[in-house]
Amino acid sequence: MRRVQVLLAVAAAALGYGAYLAFTAPLDVLQGEYTRMINIHVPTLWLAFLAFGITALGSVMYLIRRTARWDRLAASSAEIGVLFAVVGVFTGMVWGQAVWGQAWDWGDARLATTAVMIFVYVAYLVLRQSIADPEKRAKRSAILGIIAVIQVPLVYFSVYLVRTLHQTPSIRPDGATMPTEILVAMLVNVGAFTVLYVALLTGRMYVARLESERASERALAGEAVSNPRLSEIQDV
Amino acid sequence: MSNQVIVIGSFALVYAASIGYAIFLHRRLKRAAE
Repeated sequence: MRRVQVLLAVAAAALGYGAYLAFTAPLDVLQGEYTRMINIHVPTLWLAFLAFGITALGSVMYLIRRTARWDRLAASSAEIGVLFAVVGVFTGMVWGQAVWGQAWDWGDARLATTAVMIFVYVAYLVLRQSIADPEKRAKRSAILGIIAVIQVPLVYFSVYLVRTLHQTPSIRPDGATMPTEILVAMLVNVGAFTVLYVALLTGRMYVARLESERASERALAGEAVSNPRLSEIQDV
Repeated sequence: MSNQVIVIGSFALVYAASIGYAIFLHRRLKRAAE
């Protein structure tokens, strides 16, 4: 737990510095105050993409190694990913309302694919809650965790595949399409949110391990009572 | 509502979500440790 506290403290300091840079960087002439939204919109969705990628990694490793630790990594990361994907979309809607004149458009490929991605990862979390047996839960959610990650590149490249309202990325191989001060502020915030992700993931995995141990102890003590399956009743 | 208030409010919401999740984890940790 000491490690989580240290990581959270580092994340808080980095986020504070990121906020300072965000509110002292120059503003775009057209976007005005809303230029600053890039400092929370991009980092939160970057965090979500990273989290879903780690979920896929944990899922693959679980299917190879069959150890609960990899399952806990996948599940913990998905939960954090969903939270920050929702927050990231909300910040984008605030920006969209001000700059595009509309908060949401189902006809936009980036927005629609992002919404579908969130729904699928919510389904991943619901699936985990619906299976009582830890091994079955881990195996089935690992398969979904691997399939679901296909959406990450789909969301990212949707702006190239289809002509959309959402603009293409501001950082490209040939350089960034923004002043250096705005770029630096955004990258500092991306770094800060990445540290925050590592802190929350470490904490979430620790909680998951502790809860798993408690569940095993209860089962051994005979406290765990499960409903009989229909097939078992029919056999009797 | 001024643009500045909306932007600062959005930043506050993102930080509040992060802090809220950390508190949620802390509570679950305490419950699991009991």
